[in-house]
Amino acid sequence: MHHVIIGNGIAGVSAAEAIRRIDPHSAITMIGDETEIPYCRPMISMVLEGALGPERLPIRGRDFYASLKISPLLGERVTALDTDARQVTIGEGRTISYDRLLIASGADPRPIKAEGCDLENIFFLRNQAQVRRMQAVLPDAREALVLGGGLVGFKAAYGLLRRGLKVTLVIRSGYPLSMQADETAGAMVLAELCRQGLDVRVGVEAIGFEGGTAVRRAHLSDGTQLACDLVVVGKGVLPAHSFVNRSQITVDLGIVVDAHMRTGAAHVFAAGDVAEAVDLARQTRWVNAIWPEAVAQGRLAGQNMAGRSVAGTGSLGRNVIRIFDLDIMTGGIVSPEQEKGYEILQCHDPRSHTYRKMVFQCDRLVGVVMVNRIEQGGVLLSMIQGRIPVAIDKEKMLSPGFNYAQLLP
Amino acid sequence: MKQVVVHPERCVGCRQCMLACATAHSQSQRLTSAVLETPRPKPRVHVGVGRLEEGFPNRCRHCDPAPCMLACLPGAIYRDTATQTVLIDADRCINCASCAMVCPFGVLRYHADRLAPAGKTVAVKCDNCIARQIQGLVPACVEACRTGALTFETLDQAMKRKTDAVSRSMSTTAVEAEAPAGVSLLHQIKKVQARLRT
Amino acid sequence: MNKTYQQETIAQDSQLLLKKIENDAATTVWDRYQTQLPHCGFCEMGLSCRNCVMGPCRIDPFGDGPRQGVCGADAEIIVARNLGRMIAAGAASHSDHGRDLVEVLAQVAEGNGSGYQIRDTAKLKRLAAEFGVTIDGKADLLIAAELADALQEEYGTRRKALTLLGRAPEKRRKLWTSLNITPRGIDRETSEMMHRTHMGVDNDWQSLLLHGMRNALSDGWGGSLIASEVSDILFGTPTPRPTQANVGVLKKDQVNIIVHGHNPVVSEMVLAACQSPEMIALAESKGAQGINLAGVCCTGNELLMRHGVAMAGNHLSTELVLATGAVEMMIVDYQCIMPAISQVAACYHTRMVSTSDKAKFPGMTHREFHPLNAKEMAVALVKEAVENFSNRKTVYIPVEPVAAVGGFSVEAVVGALGGTPGPLLDAIKAGKIRGAAGIVGCNNPQIKQDHGHVTLTRRLIENDILVVDTGCAAVANAKAGFKVAEAIHLAGPGLQEICGALGIPPVLHFGSCVDNVRILVLASALANALGVDISDLPIAGAAPEWYSEKAAAIGVYFVASGVYTVLGPMPPVTGSMAVVNLLTQGLEDIVGATFAVEPDPEQAAVLIRRRIENKRKALGLDARSV
Repeated sequence: MHHVIIGNGIAGVSAAEAIRRIDPHSAITMIGDETEIPYCRPMISMVLEGALGPERLPIRGRDFYASLKISPLLGERVTALDTDARQVTIGEGRTISYDRLLIASGADPRPIKAEGCDLENIFFLRNQAQVRRMQAVLPDAREALVLGGGLVGFKAAYGLLRRGLKVTLVIRSGYPLSMQADETAGAMVLAELCRQGLDVRVGVEAIGFEGGTAVRRAHLSDGTQLACDLVVVGKGVLPAHSFVNRSQITVDLGIVVDAHMRTGAAHVFAAGDVAEAVDLARQTRWVNAIWPEAVAQGRLAGQNMAGRSVAGTGSLGRNVIRIFDLDIMTGGIVSPEQEKGYEILQCHDPRSHTYRKMVFQCDRLVGVVMVNRIEQGGVLLSMIQGRIPVAIDKEKMLSPGFNYAQLLP
Repeated sequence: MKQVVVHPERCVGCRQCMLACATAHSQSQRLTSAVLETPRPKPRVHVGVGRLEEGFPNRCRHCDPAPCMLACLPGAIYRDTATQTVLIDADRCINCASCAMVCPFGVLRYHADRLAPAGKTVAVKCDNCIARQIQGLVPACVEACRTGALTFETLDQAMKRKTDAVSRSMSTTAVEAEAPAGVSLLHQIKKVQARLRT
Repeated sequence: MNKTYQQETIAQDSQLLLKKIENDAATTVWDRYQTQLPHCGFCEMGLSCRNCVMGPCRIDPFGDGPRQGVCGADAEIIVARNLGRMIAAGAASHSDHGRDLVEVLAQVAEGNGSGYQIRDTAKLKRLAAEFGVTIDGKADLLIAAELADALQEEYGTRRKALTLLGRAPEKRRKLWTSLNITPRGIDRETSEMMHRTHMGVDNDWQSLLLHGMRNALSDGWGGSLIASEVSDILFGTPTPRPTQANVGVLKKDQVNIIVHGHNPVVSEMVLAACQSPEMIALAESKGAQGINLAGVCCTGNELLMRHGVAMAGNHLSTELVLATGAVEMMIVDYQCIMPAISQVAACYHTRMVSTSDKAKFPGMTHREFHPLNAKEMAVALVKEAVENFSNRKTVYIPVEPVAAVGGFSVEAVVGALGGTPGPLLDAIKAGKIRGAAGIVGCNNPQIKQDHGHVTLTRRLIENDILVVDTGCAAVANAKAGFKVAEAIHLAGPGLQEICGALGIPPVLHFGSCVDNVRILVLASALANALGVDISDLPIAGAAPEWYSEKAAAIGVYFVASGVYTVLGPMPPVTGSMAVVNLLTQGLEDIVGATFAVEPDPEQAAVLIRRRIENKRKALGLDARSV
C-alpha cells in the first residue's frame, strides 16, 4: 500500500501521523513545496513581529520524516493528477503512483488586481520564506501599507506596528475582520487599532503602485495616494487545486469531500484549507481554512486512508484573536441575513468592556461573537459543533458568568 | 490508575477547592502567604454557577484525544503518559487562546504563573497536582473537599460505589434517600427561586 | 445592549435606572450578587462555624465527611448557634436604635435637645404610666426624665420581665413564663446569646433555640417597641396622610436630598432644615424651585408616617435613585446602607454624608449628629446640598410618582374605627374581612425586587385579607399603587366594603421595620378584646424578600408571639433537619405558631389563607376551604 500526501502543512502532517498510528508498514510519500520541517503557519506573523525567533516555528522534530518512515519530496509542486491512472505528476513530468492519495495542498494567497503589483517589497504573508524576505527589508522600511482587514492583513499590520513602522491598513469593507466578526466587534477592534496608532482606511482598496524597482507609493480607490516602502497583501486565500481535473473530482470553491474526507474519485481524499466539507453552523458545504480544522480533517483522512472507517461531523469556522487589550473569539454565522429567521441576542457591557452576541436558529446556537472574557467560548463553540438543542434560557448564555455547569441537567 | 473524579451532586459551592488549588500552585504552599506572592497564584479548578445558582467544580478532564492538544499552535500542550495528564509547557505557550476556543468545558485561564517565564501570560489549567502526587499526596482539590464532590480513586472504584449506592436505594430495606433531606429542601427552594427569576 | 432588567425587578423605575447605570458604567448590588455565586453551601445551610479558632469548622451535609466540628458540635448545635447569633445581631440592631432615641429623650428632658422636643405628651404620659412613673402634677420634662431612666433600665439585667410585655395577652405571658423564655432585659438576652454560643456553653440545640426566641422577644417587646414608642413621643404619633412613592418623587427643578437608614433622630432634623425659609430662599437663589426631601429605606418610612415625606425607593433601589443624577445629597444614619453606595454616587455629583459614629462608610463625609448640635448640623448639611445644586449634570427621572397614604399607627387605626377595635372585630366575625396579614421585610437580590411583596399582597387583599405592611415591603406596595383608597377595587367584596366605608386603603402602611411592633400591639389589642391569645387570631405574617439579621429577629418574635410567619428566602438552617422541623412544625405545639418557607408568593398566599381560615374555624367563625 502506498499513501501519497500532497502537502506538508498541518493537514498532511496530521494525516501521515494518523496513518502511521494504524499502519506501521505501508509506504508514505509526502510532496511539499516548502522545504522546512513542518512548522506552525499561524505563528509566522509573530516572527515578523519579532515576538518569536523562526526557531520556534517547527511543530515537529527535525527527524519527523525519518521517524515516521515517510519519503519526503520537498520543494516540489504537483502539476497534474490522473485518478484513472492513480498517479500524480510533479514538476516537469515525474509521476508517482499511489494506492491512497490525500490532497492537502492548502491554499495560496489571493492575488490582487492592481497596477504595479510586481514591484519589489510587495509581499504576501503566507509562508516562512516570505517572512524571511520581509525581514530582510524591514531595517530600511519606514511606512508600511497593509491591504486587507482579514486575519492575515490584521496580523501583518499588528506585527509591523510592533516593529515600529508607520502602518496604514486599507480595508475594502467597513470594518476589520468582516469575515470573522460582526459590525459591533469590528468597530471595537477598529477603535482599538486606531488607539494603538494604526492608520485605518475603510471602504477603499489599492488600485495601483508606483516606484522604481521597489514600491514607493500606492494609489487608493478614493483618489488618495500614500507613500510606502513595504506592502503586505492579505486579501485572503484560495484553495490550491489547480492540478485537479474537474471531470474526475468535484470542485466547488474547494475540493468537495464527504464525512470521511473522501473526494468524488476513488481512493482520493482531501483535507485542510483545500477541502470543502459540510459546515456545522451553515449546514452547507464551506471551506473553513483554519488550523484546528486542518488538524482534525488531516487526522480523519489519515484514519480512513489507513482503512479505519471514521466519519467526521463537519467543520466549523472559528477564530480567536488577541490584539492589544482586546480578545476576540468568533465562530459560525456571525452576521446572518435578517430574512432567514435567525434569532439574535447580544449584550455590550461597557463596564466590563465585553461584548457577546449569539445567533440562534430555532433552538440551536449557530454563531457566536465574543469580545473579552473569552475563556468560556469553547463551551459555546462546542454547542454549535454538537448541534445541541439549547434547553436553557438563552439570555443566560449572554452572561460572562455562563459556564459549563449551566448545561448540566 | 487513580484520578480525580467529580461528583457534581455533592458540590455545595464552597470554593474551598479553588483556594486549595491556588495554594498548591504557590511558592509558599500556605494560603496566608500565598496571597502575598507575585504573581499571585490562581486556581485551576473553577467552581462554576449552575442553573439553580448551585456550584459545580469545573476541572480539566484530561481528555483523550485532547482538543486543546490538537489545536495548540506552538505544540505546547502534551500528555504525561504516566498520569494521563494533559500539561502545558509554559515556555512554548504563546498565549493565543486556541486552547480556550476548542475546550468544551471552558477550563483554560490565561495569566502569569510562578513556573512560567517571569511576566509572561500563559495558558494555565489543572495539572492533576503532579508535584503533590510525587510526594505521595492526593490532589489539593480532593484534599480540600469535605463533601465528597471530588474524590481521588480509580474509575472502577468510583463506578462501583455509584452502582452500590443505586442498588442500595433500590433494595426494599433502603431507608436512605437520594440526598439528605436538608440538601433536598434547599435544592427545592432554589428551584422555586430560579423559576421566579425568569 | 438589549437587557431590560425584568429578571431583576418588577419596578419600572428600577428597570430603567438599572439600564442607566449600565450605560454610566457603575455596578450595583445585582452585579455584586452575581460575582458571589455560587454561594457557599456550608454557609447557606448554616453548617460552617467560625466561633473559635480551633476551627473554622464545617459539617458535611452528605454525612461522609466531618459530622462534628473540632469541639464536637454537630450539625444541630452549629445550625442553632448560628441562628442564635443571627437573632442576637438583629435584636441588637433594633434595640440599639431604640437606645439612641431614649438618649435623645433624656437629653430633651435635661433641656439639651436642640431642636428636639416632646411632640406627643399624651403618649409620653401613657408610656410613663406603664412604667410606673407617677405623672400627676409633674411637668412633661420631668416625666420624660423619669421615663427615660425607666426605659434605660429595660436594657439592663436586673429585672424578671420587660415592662412592655404587659401589653401582650395574659395567656401569652403565661406561656412564655412556662417555657422560661420571658425576656428579662434587652441587652441581657443578646449578651446571653453571645455567651451561650461561645464554645463550650449551651450545646443543646433546643435550648439554644428557646433562648433565640427569648432574645427575639427582647427586641419585639423591648428594643423595637421602645424605638417606636419614643419616636412617637419625640416626633408625633403618625396619622394618615397622603404621600407618594418611587423615584419619580425626585424633582427636576428642586434641590433633592435623600435620607437613608433607620433612625428618625437625624432625618427629622434634616426635614426641619429643609423647610426653613432661609434654606428655601437660598435654594431659590441658586435657581432651584425649592428643596425636596425624600426617603429611601426605613428612615424614609419614619418621615412618611409622620409627615407624608415621599419615598424614592426601598432597599434594592438605594443605589439606583442616585443614578437619576438629581440627588444633591444623601444623608445616612445606620442599618441597610450598602458600603458600595458611594461608588455609585461617585459617578454623579451626589454628596454622601454619614452621621453616626456607629456607622461610617467608605467614600462618605462624616458629620457626627448628636442632640446638642443636631439642628445646626442639619442646616449646615442642607446648605451644602443646596450649594451642590449647581454641580448637577444630566438629570434622568424616568417615571411619574405613585400616590399613596401612610401613617397608620395603632392609635390612628383605632381612631378610624371610631375609638375601639370593635368594628374591625365585627367585620372579621362577619367574615367580610377574613383576617389580617403583616407583610414586612426587605428586598433581596435572590428574589425579583418587589415581586414577592406585591404578588402576595395582591392575592391576600383579593381574598378579603386586610394587609398591614412595614419597611421595604410597604414601599413596594406603595409603588404598586395599593395604598390609596381607590385601590379597594383590587380587594375582595368584603374588604372592599369595609375599607370603602372607612375611606381607607386595603393595605395599611404601619411604618418602618421597628414599627413591626405596632402589628404586635394591634394583634394584642384584638386578642385581648376577644379574650383569646394572639395565636388564636386569624392573622399571619410574611417576609417575602427578607435579607437581614434584623428580619430574622422580627420573624422569630412574630412566631414566639403566636403569629404564623411565611418567609420567602430560606434562612441558613437546612443543615439540620431537626432545626428545620422544629421551626416549621414543632413550634406549633410550643408557641402556637410556626415558620413556613415559601419563595413563591402565589403559594405563600395559599399558606396564609389556609392558616387564616383554619383559625377562623377554631374560633367558631365561618371558614372557607383553601
